[in-house]
Amino acid sequence: MAVSSPSSNILLLLLISSLDWLSTPGCAFVSDRDHTNPSAPLEPHFTECISREQETFRCWWSPGTFHNLSTPGALRVFYFKKESPTSEWRECPQYIHSNRECFFDKNHTSIWIPYCMQLRSQNTTFFNDDDCFTVENIVRPDPPVSLNWTLLNISPSGLSYDVMVNWEPPPSADVRTGWMRIMYEIQYRERNTTKWEALEMQPQSQQTIFGLHIGKEYEVHIRCRMQAFTKFGEFSSSIFIHVTEIPSRETTFPLAVVLVFGIVGILILIMLIIVSQQHRLMMILLPPVPAPKIKGIDPELLKKGKLDELNLFLSGGGMGGLSTYAPDFYQDEPWVEFIELDTEDADSGEKEDNQGSDTQRLLALSQPVSHHMNIGCSNAISFPDDDSGRASCYDPDLLDQETLMLMATLLPGQPEGGEASLDVEEGASASERSKRALIQTQTAGPQTWVNTDFYAQVSNVMPSGGVVLSPGQQLRIQESTSATEEEKQKNIKESEDRGDEKKQKELQFQLLLVDPEGSGYTTESHARQIGTPPSSPMPGEGYQTILPPPAETKPAVEDNQSPYIAPDSPQFQFSAPVSDYTVVQEVDTEHSLLLNPPPHQSTPPCLPQHPFKALPAMPVGYITPDLLGHLSP
Amino acid sequence: MSGTIRSVSVVWLLLLCLVLCRTLTGTGAAPICANAQAGCYAVSLANLFDRVVQHSARMHGISNDLHSEFEQYFLPSKNQVGRVGRNCHTSTILTPNGKENAQRMAREELTEVILKLLVAWRDPLWHFHRSMAHHHDFTNFSSDKALEMSDMVHELRKGVERVAEKMQTLGLMSDPVNSQVSPEALPPPDSGEWRRMKDYDLLYCFRRDSNKVKNYLKILKCRIVPEHGC
Repeated sequence: MAVSSPSSNILLLLLISSLDWLSTPGCAFVSDRDHTNPSAPLEPHFTECISREQETFRCWWSPGTFHNLSTPGALRVFYFKKESPTSEWRECPQYIHSNRECFFDKNHTSIWIPYCMQLRSQNTTFFNDDDCFTVENIVRPDPPVSLNWTLLNISPSGLSYDVMVNWEPPPSADVRTGWMRIMYEIQYRERNTTKWEALEMQPQSQQTIFGLHIGKEYEVHIRCRMQAFTKFGEFSSSIFIHVTEIPSRETTFPLAVVLVFGIVGILILIMLIIVSQQHRLMMILLPPVPAPKIKGIDPELLKKGKLDELNLFLSGGGMGGLSTYAPDFYQDEPWVEFIELDTEDADSGEKEDNQGSDTQRLLALSQPVSHHMNIGCSNAISFPDDDSGRASCYDPDLLDQETLMLMATLLPGQPEGGEASLDVEEGASASERSKRALIQTQTAGPQTWVNTDFYAQVSNVMPSGGVVLSPGQQLRIQESTSATEEEKQKNIKESEDRGDEKKQKELQFQLLLVDPEGSGYTTESHARQIGTPPSSPMPGEGYQTILPPPAETKPAVEDNQSPYIAPDSPQFQFSAPVSDYTVVQEVDTEHSLLLNPPPHQSTPPCLPQHPFKALPAMPVGYITPDLLGHLSP
Repeated sequence: MSGTIRSVSVVWLLLLCLVLCRTLTGTGAAPICANAQAGCYAVSLANLFDRVVQHSARMHGISNDLHSEFEQYFLPSKNQVGRVGRNCHTSTILTPNGKENAQRMAREELTEVILKLLVAWRDPLWHFHRSMAHHHDFTNFSSDKALEMSDMVHELRKGVERVAEKMQTLGLMSDPVNSQVSPEALPPPDSGEWRRMKDYDLLYCFRRDSNKVKNYLKILKCRIVPEHGC
């Protein structure tokens, strides 16, 4: 709300003040005189008085146009310090004539007290009211030191950047004790321009300059002044800021592109390989797991929860059970292991003991075919992989103890063996037969099961390929069905003689069976071949050939007697123990290895017909390769 | 009926007023006291010093602005500094006139000097403000500044007294300084002297004294709590 009447006064005053602008207190020096009176002779005067740290100050003078007073000492400096009403003019405490300077040290410097300066020549005094000041008003701080810069960041576009500039306060200014409070001002400009950009004043000793351009060079300097005062100090020396473009930026860009494309290409390639070789990869990574497959049984039945059906199936009910064509199921799966099942009415009484023996089960006795659902093992054996067939014929887990009995054939070709033996039986005389060592395993009734060791020594090989297992001294010969009655009685007698058949139940050993038909042909031959020691059979020892027992003999043998094969003729009875390893003495026409040829005197007809001569005495138990050569007919 | 309504409304208004007044007085921050007593909360000595120093710096800045404004508008014909006759009414107060003197001075004495100065300027500034308001020559800006200045002197004096109290409780300073610095202690003749001063001289003197106060407080702070800002 400017009032009209005094406004003109104010304007006048403003006009006047603009002329005397420079004559503020403490700054009452010289320049106005030059403006007003350029032609008049210039008196000696003070050019400037400056304090750098508000503790000392110095004044410079000039003789003006009075050149005769320019010699040192012609002019003298006097000052007046208004400390007390009785103050007086004093001379300069320290002259520096070379500079025409008067220096006031700490002892002569007082702040907040007005000083007046005077030049005196010999007879005149040159004094100006303007030359009075207070020290705090003439302070011009020194420029800051240690000016340097650091790059803060570069803009994403790569065109501009920010810089942090920092410095130290001037060492002469005592900022640390708080005597002076200094504000700093940074100015910068591009290299070859004239206009300086000034940043805002602030008391910190660092400041950020934003928005500098890449590639351009910048010049930066700094000055300072006291807070709430007007006089700035000198500018510091300039530093230069120059940031060029960063070349790595461009090189990394195509590198990243190449990497990305390369990885994408590799991924596509891998996908193609996987897709094209899918089946093979599946085979490698996820090989098929053999599922439980029992020959002749639908794999569906083997799935969980169908145990009842399986039992039914295996026991012969249902759809007719295991059939002979069951193997066709799995013809094309070579890794399938077949588990041959043969269901029978198991005699649980003996079964518990019998089933405890693995070898017993291995030499399972076979019943007449009429009973069985399966000749499975034999069929399996006809397949090329004999071993697995044999082994897989045996699986106790599947047994339903009431009704099933697992039987395994040790040897292939059981029916053939049987046939062969039958043929032989028909064809040959008993004596011939006796020379044959027929060893066959046969599935038999429980009473024929013999508890024997799991591991047994092969003592004889049958022409059919069967092997007679011989553990040692004893022979248990099963009674044959044909000559059953007598033989059985004999056997029973013998067995009774044996007496301590305590472990009979633990019949550990079994022999290969002969003649699933149950004809009693084999008894003789067997008996001849196999020395059946009349001594009491030890449990766990001995082997026997087990003939298919007649049904009626079962209960009889159920006792702790081992079945015997009672030879028809006394020839069958051998008292000589059979060693664990025997020598193949002869090979007869049927390519059966005669391990213990019968004594010639007892069985002359049993002499081998085949022209093969008795071999010379051999170390017992071994057959050398040249012997083997002899053996072949 | 209307009478009862009126009485009820009056009562309600009174209640409202009471509540508002309570809240108004309560919203002001709890007074700062040197010790954490009931009803006020304690501020650290460093914090107190910071506030006081900033206050004094601002005061000095305002005085500087006013003074330069005065010079622009009411420029004296000559440099007033050299005028021998001029004397500030606070010249009787003995103040250290240099850095070493100030540093050599004991804390108690320095604080006492500060308080003396501040006390001495309370009345003159108030009158100055009054006179500025009456003279329409001054702009509103200037009169506002004058008012602010006188307020600040008042506030600063209280702040320095608090600092002194805190220092005494902390054991950094010996016993009471304040007793000497009550306004009543000032001799009455001083009270008249400043009335004879012209406004411009008043401003000049106050500018100088505010600079003194600012410097003394800064020296005191950097001597006692030199952590930050020194």
